[in-house]
Order: sequence, then C-alpha cells, then structure tokens
Amino acid sequence: MTIDNIRSFCIIAHIDHGKSTLADRLIQRCGAVEAREFRDQILDSMDLERERGITIKANTVTLSYTARDGKTYELNLIDTPGHVDFSHEVRRSLMSCEGALLVIDASQGVEAQTVANLYLAMEFGLAIVPVINKIDLPSADVDRVMEEIDRDLALDPFEAIQVSAKLGTGIDDLLEAIVGKLPPPQGDAEKPLRALLFDAQYDAYRGAVLLVRLFDGTLRAGTRVRLMHSGAEHRVEEVGCQRLKRVPSPELSAGEVGYVLAGIKTLSGLAVGDTLTGAERPAAEPVPGYREAKPVVFSSIYPMETNDYGELTRALEKLKLNDTALIYEKDSLAALGFGFRCGFLGLLHLDVIQERLEREYDLSLILSAPSVRYRVVLADGTEAWVDNPTFYPDPSTIKEVFEPYIKATIMTPERYLGTVMELCRERRGVDTTFSYLAAGRMEVRSQLPLAEVLFDFYDRLKSLTQGYGSFDYELLDYRPGDTVKVDILVNGEKVDALSQLVHRASARPRALRSCERLAKTIPRQQFKIAIQGAIGGQIIARTTINPYRKDVTAKCYGGDITRKRKLLEKQREGKKKMKMVGAVEIPQAAFVAVLRTEDDEDGDEDRS
Amino acid sequence: MTSDQPGLYVHLPFCSAICRYCDFAVMHAGEAKRKRFVEHLLAEVALAARAWPDSRPFDTVYFGGGTPSLLPAEDLSRVLDACRAHLMLASPAPWVYLEANPEDVTPGACAAWRRLGVRTLSLGVQSFDDDALRFLGRRHTGGQARAAVEVARAAGFDTVSLDLIFGLPGQTPRAWRRDLATAVALSPGHLSCYQLTIHRRTSFGVSAARGDLRELPDAEQAELFDLTHGVLGQAGWPAYEVSNFASSPAHESRHNRKYWNHTPYLGLGPSAHSFVAGGAFIPAHGAGDAGAAGVARRWWNEPRLPRWERRVAAGERPVAGEELLGPQALATETLLLGLRTTAGVDLDDFAARFGVDLLAANDALVASLVREGRLVVRPGPEGRRMLPTSLGLAVADGLAAAFDLPLPS
Repeated sequence: MTIDNIRSFCIIAHIDHGKSTLADRLIQRCGAVEAREFRDQILDSMDLERERGITIKANTVTLSYTARDGKTYELNLIDTPGHVDFSHEVRRSLMSCEGALLVIDASQGVEAQTVANLYLAMEFGLAIVPVINKIDLPSADVDRVMEEIDRDLALDPFEAIQVSAKLGTGIDDLLEAIVGKLPPPQGDAEKPLRALLFDAQYDAYRGAVLLVRLFDGTLRAGTRVRLMHSGAEHRVEEVGCQRLKRVPSPELSAGEVGYVLAGIKTLSGLAVGDTLTGAERPAAEPVPGYREAKPVVFSSIYPMETNDYGELTRALEKLKLNDTALIYEKDSLAALGFGFRCGFLGLLHLDVIQERLEREYDLSLILSAPSVRYRVVLADGTEAWVDNPTFYPDPSTIKEVFEPYIKATIMTPERYLGTVMELCRERRGVDTTFSYLAAGRMEVRSQLPLAEVLFDFYDRLKSLTQGYGSFDYELLDYRPGDTVKVDILVNGEKVDALSQLVHRASARPRALRSCERLAKTIPRQQFKIAIQGAIGGQIIARTTINPYRKDVTAKCYGGDITRKRKLLEKQREGKKKMKMVGAVEIPQAAFVAVLRTEDDEDGDEDRS
Repeated sequence: MTSDQPGLYVHLPFCSAICRYCDFAVMHAGEAKRKRFVEHLLAEVALAARAWPDSRPFDTVYFGGGTPSLLPAEDLSRVLDACRAHLMLASPAPWVYLEANPEDVTPGACAAWRRLGVRTLSLGVQSFDDDALRFLGRRHTGGQARAAVEVARAAGFDTVSLDLIFGLPGQTPRAWRRDLATAVALSPGHLSCYQLTIHRRTSFGVSAARGDLRELPDAEQAELFDLTHGVLGQAGWPAYEVSNFASSPAHESRHNRKYWNHTPYLGLGPSAHSFVAGGAFIPAHGAGDAGAAGVARRWWNEPRLPRWERRVAAGERPVAGEELLGPQALATETLLLGLRTTAGVDLDDFAARFGVDLLAANDALVASLVREGRLVVRPGPEGRRMLPTSLGLAVADGLAAAFDLPLPS
C-alpha cells in the first residue's frame, strides 16, 4: 500500500449524534464484516460503553475501499474515548489521524460538545469533513444545520456530507469525501522507525496487542524494538492490520496503522503515547506529546459482603490486564474488612472500574471517599506520602502538608469567561489567565489544587458553560496546603470509609454535604440517628434522622401469622445488604451518595 | 389469664353487606346458602377432629366472620354441639366469643347467645359518628351502636368488646377523641382500636387506586395512634397489645392471646388458620410426611366458600396450604408477636427455647432503643423481660425486623 492511498481519521460527535452507527455503516459498506456477524456498534465492545453511549477504550479498524477513481484505499478508522480522564488517550488517537468526520445531528444541530471536539481536532491540525447525520428524521432541518455549520463552526457548509447512517443513505458520498478531502499521511519509510503506541489491548492468548501508527520507517516480524520512554526492548513476533479480526501482514510502513505482537505478557509497563523505535537504528526523537498516565485519585474498594473478597481479587486482576492505568494494593478497615486501595486516572475512571466490577463480576461494593496523594512533612523531618485518610498522621505531628497542583486549560465561549474565572477562584486557582483563541472563543489557564478539581469541577464547568466548556489538565507540582481530615460519625461511631482529606476552608461545607446526603439515604430507624462531621474532636457539621413514629400494622389475629412473618423475613433479608455501624444500618447507597459529585437535583448527569 | 389449652375458631363468612374496608373472606348469602354452609361446617368438624393431635380440651371457642350474629342461634348451637361431640371442649364450658353487628343486637338475641354460653360479645361498632359510619359502609347509626352496647351490657355478658376504627381520611384528633370518650363512657370492658388499613382488593382499595381516597398522612396517623394510647391509658384502659385495650386484665382476650404466644388453635370454615406446636403429625392431604422435622405446623383452609364446600363434600379436610415452622421461624414469630404485646418477650424463656440471648446478640440496638424510649428491659420474678413502651408499640413491626437472631445451627 503506497502512502498516498492511506487515510486515517476519527469520528467526533456530540453524544447521541450517531457516531457509533456511522462507524458501523462504514465498516459494513467496506465489507469488513459479514452481515450475519454484524452487531450494531461493533466498535464499542464493552457493555458498559454501549449502555452509557460513551467510548471508554478506543478501538480501531482498518477498512479497504475501492473508490470511484478505481483505486483501492486503506481507511483507518480510529475510535476515540470521550472524557477528560482519558484525554491523554484521546490526544494520542487524534495524533494518529490526518482527518476527522465531525458528525452533527440533522435535527439537534450544532451542540456544545461538537464545538469542543472541533477545537480539539483543529489543535491537532486535522482536516475536517462535516457530516450531517439522521437526515431521514421527520424533524431534520438540514438548512438550519448548514447555517449553524457556517456561523458556529466557521466551516464551509457546502462541504458537509448529508447521510442517514441508520438507512445507509449518503455513505458512498462520505467515503468519497474521506478519500478526496482528507490528506494522506506523511512519513518516510527509509528513516529510522518511529511508531506511536496509541492504544494497547489484552488478548488472552497472545498477551499485549499494541496498536501503533507509524510515522517513519518500517516494522516487521523479527525487528527488535525499543520503547523510547520506558526503555523496554521486545522482539516483534507479528504485525498486521486490525480489521475486525487481526490480519497479519509482512510489514507495516510509514503512514500505516496496525497492530504489533511482541510476546508482552501484560499491559502493565506499557504506556500509551510511548514511541516504538528500532533497537538497532533508533530514531533521534520520539513522537512528541508523551505524558505518563499516572493515577491521581485514590480510593479503597471493599466488597459489601466480606466473603466476596476472593472474587474481588480475581476481578481486579482481570481488569488490570486491560487497563494500564489501574493500580491497586491490599487494604483493610475494621468495619469493612479486606479490600483494595486503588489508584485511578480520575473520577470517571473510578466510576468505570466500579461499574465494571459490579456489572461484569456481579459484586456489590463500598468505595471510600476518593483522595489525592499528599506529601506530609512530619515534625521530626521525615516525609510520608498519604492518599488514604485512614493513615493520615496525627495533626500534632505534622509540620507541613503539600498537595498536588495541576495546570488546567479550559476552553470556553467568551460569554462564559466571567463565570469560568469565578469558578477557578472558588477552587483556589492561582495565576489564572486568559487569552483569545478565535473570535468569541477563550482559553483560560489556571493553577488549581487537584483536590478541588476531583469533586464536581468538571460537572460544574459543564453546567456553568451550558456544555460548551472543555477542560484538560496536567500535573504541575506540590505546594503547601492547609489540609485537614474530616471524619463522619454516625451515632458517635466513626465511619472510616467516609473520612476525607480536604482543605480547611472546604471542611465545613464538605462535611455538611456528606451529613446531609447520609441523612437522605440512611433509612429512618426506630431511634434517632445523629450524623456528624468532625475534625479531630471538634464537631463541624450535624444532621439528624428522626425515627419512625409509626410502623406497625393494626391487626394481627385470625391466626394468619405466616404472612406477617414472611414480610419481616423479607425486611431482614434487605438488612443483610446493609453495613452496621453501631446499631445503625447503613445501605450501600449511602456510601455511594456521599461520594457522588453531582448535585442531587441533577440526577444522573451524563458525564461523557 | 394465660392458658396453654388450645382454642377453637369458627369462621362464618356471611355479611348482610360488604363493608368498604373489609378484606376478610365474606359474602352475601341467602337462607338456602347459609343452611348448606352450616351442614358443611358440621362435616368439617368431624374431618378436622380426626386429624387434630392435641388431646387437651379447647378452652375458648370464637365465632368470627363475617357476621356470626346473622346466623340463627339454633345454627350456632348445632355447630357447638358438633364440636362437643367430636372435639374435647373444656368443662364445664369453654369461653365462647361471638362477633355481632349492632343492628342484630336485641334483648332476645342476647338471651339466646347467653344460653349458648357466649361470654364475650364483640360488637362491630367502628364509630359512633353517623358520617364516619356511612363512609365506612356500615348499616347502623351511632345511636344504634350506643343502644346495642347498653343492651349487651344489660344482658350480662362477662365482657362486651367494641371494635373501633380510626385513621379515616379527614378524621381529626378531636373527632377520634369523641369516639373514644363515648366508648369509655359505655364501659364495655374491652376495646379494639384498629387503624384503618386500605387493602388492595376492597372498595376502599379501588377508590384509593383511582385517587378518590387518600390515606391519612403518616404523621397524622402517628398522632392518632399516640392519642389512642394516651387517652385510653389515662382512662384506665391500658393497651395490652398494639390495638387492644382492656379495663382490667380479666377482660383481655384469652382467645387472641393464643395467636400471639404459639398456643395451639384449630380453625374451621373458609380461610381459617390452625396451628399446633411440638411437631405433631397432621396428615393434611391424606398420607402426610410423617416425622418431618418441624417444631410446629400451621395450615390454612381454602379461602373461597365454593371450593371449601367442594372439598368438605368430598370428605377431605379443606386445607389450602401448610407450613412447618423450624426454630428460626418460631423465634422470629415469638419476637414479632411478643413485641406487639405489653407483656413483651420473656428473655430467659427465649434463650432456653432458641439458644439465643437476644440482648447479647443485639446490645447496641437494644441500648439505642432503650435510650429512645421504645423498649424497657426489666428483671422479673419469672425472668428478664423485654417490653415495648407505647412508643415501641407504635413501631413494633420495625422493631422486630431490626433484631438479629443468630440461632445456633
């Protein structure tokens, strides 16, 4: 395949605008899949992704398309995950493309996320083909959407391809546009090898499957390759194209996208963004933009039923195979038994892991309040890293605490500039600056404590900017911070899993919020329940759950005691799913509610 | 007061009209239907007697329904005679209970019932307020109810008991207080005050589903419940169970007590429940599972009259279902029933029977409940007891569910 006949692109779209259906149709049209083995939304392989409609783990497929000019092209469709926690992976995916299909719903029009995605794609210099999808809907208004493309996106509306991915209308025109309007990759097959590792998957039989985009050079079985950042060396066993199945080929060369098998047993140690080069003739520079995917959020996971610990262990081992970013170690709490302390890329990553554990492994879990990792300097001069409130040293022994800061980059339409700056200030942002990107579009940069970003920052940003704001961050450094440990007490007993490390200024509101959420989720009982937030011995927040006043059925005679007992047995069965703190039954939902970042009123806000 | 002799319950499923709140097995019936029913009931006595394992005499007989007062006294008498012939009844006579509607209470009827041996006449008064009675679908007025109580008292029954209903939609504390005052002033001896429960398959249930009828809000129900216990307690009518009050222990229901403390009872008639303790062998469906490892057994009759009749006519016991109760089920019931009565749970007896020290297994819970004023733990001459206060009675269902019963396996 000559480099001129290669097109690598991604599909970007607002949620529900039909990205996955469009991908399915392209795959089908190019005959990469037989109708009988076709499943809708082939690329979103995990159930969770299908359900949430978000792509968590990028998938990639190579298609062959014979165009109207009679030539056969190799189309690399590179799927992108959709959340800031995975922005690193998104960037690596975009970096592997020359173009992007920007999908817009013919009845919904240009939405916030469309704009945010467009700017990201443009940042990477991708050629854009606008696609107006769902033109078959009765509510479709193509003229209006074309106006919006012109006005809001500053793209040529007459370049837009009109399709109905559902019916297959316009797919041929779209394929022609991909071939005609997107540039081929550039690269030199003669230069030393530079292949960007943009994704890695785990295969039960072959181990790690590296997905790479070659920028320069060639890659074939037998080549010794070196990962330029980790320094690890491997001998390539097989290369090929990632069609719907892996299809081996003799070699991959500059501009191509494909997979590499190199006898690597696990994904741990592999970092997306790393560059493969030849061990014999290494390239001088790696592909730029590498960033280590480091866990920044820590939380402990406990099985609701203590004898599920073994099952949890096995489940985490399996998830780890496919997730380079997940780390964990053993942990235990008196009240909750054995569990694991885990590190995540962000809160969505945490959410995803939790949901997969609960859904795919049928586990019922309790998670402790997420925390960042603090550097604690003790009075005796020794240092400790603390990411677990349980191990937070006695405040009297602490000399100074340092907390991680990030450099946040927020893009927003100009009209929200004020609210975004205010949000940064609220969250203890420093050195907040802004600049104009394009007409009406601003970039705000701020240095923020990571701990302030963990809790609902992204959701707040989205809601303040009505969805138009986008957010990216990288870790900066550690700076002194006034951190305190807030404990939650239920009828005077401390609930370890709910202890949190927070900035002193946020301690009271955070404690109060936790208390209120517990008060909403712990069912009323036969006695009064006091819920308190405390720093050390000092109570800083308090709520009360009043007991039932009446909970009794009037009649119990005629001898039908059986029905009554069965009701009670059912009630008692429900109680098994609760954790006892003293005499108080706390349902799993209460633990979850405290950790939720969204406001209760928002319900299940979409966070992709 | 407490007896361990079995009790006999006879269900008479007929009413002149069906009340809007009633979910019992009841129906209208003409003369012919009633006659046929009595014949079948007589046959069931014989069938049931053959399988009844307890040789001790029945010391209570309860005619419930339905409206037993609709049945001519001769019919009731024939039923009692059959029971005497086939089952062992206490001598000189068991304590006989009869439920009656106020409109059926006349001096003549009372005299006839007295001759049958009725000692407690239980009147379905429900309310003394004419509007409330109309709303409930009753066929009497407040004035008739008052007159009926007077007539019953004059007839010389040992105990006259009144059933009252509270928690009607829109009922004010004032109105309910007036009903209670009227009842107390008539000094019948025993009061049952039931909170209105809206059951699904009743006229009220249908109205509620349509949105025409709204149950009283929880807080108001709780207020009326507290008011009931407060007013009657002060008037010298303390509760001895969630819904039952007596002006002296002598007026407490011997019969209902059996349901609450696992004393054996035999139920006859459609839907009636029966219970025996001690794992005795009851062949419910011909040859049974002799020797099954139950500590107790409960069974219940066909709820619908036609099927009940067909089975009796075929010479079968009309049993619809049964269950064996193991230690766990019995312990659960002991706790849930005990916490509904002011006598509470005998902790030492409980430990001896089930091998669980309730207090030790639930120390944090009991401490919280005692602090909250729901429970009292009291050492007594006959052993330690755990008693619900009136605040505890108000949440008796939840109380029982909160306890752990880690029975030794």
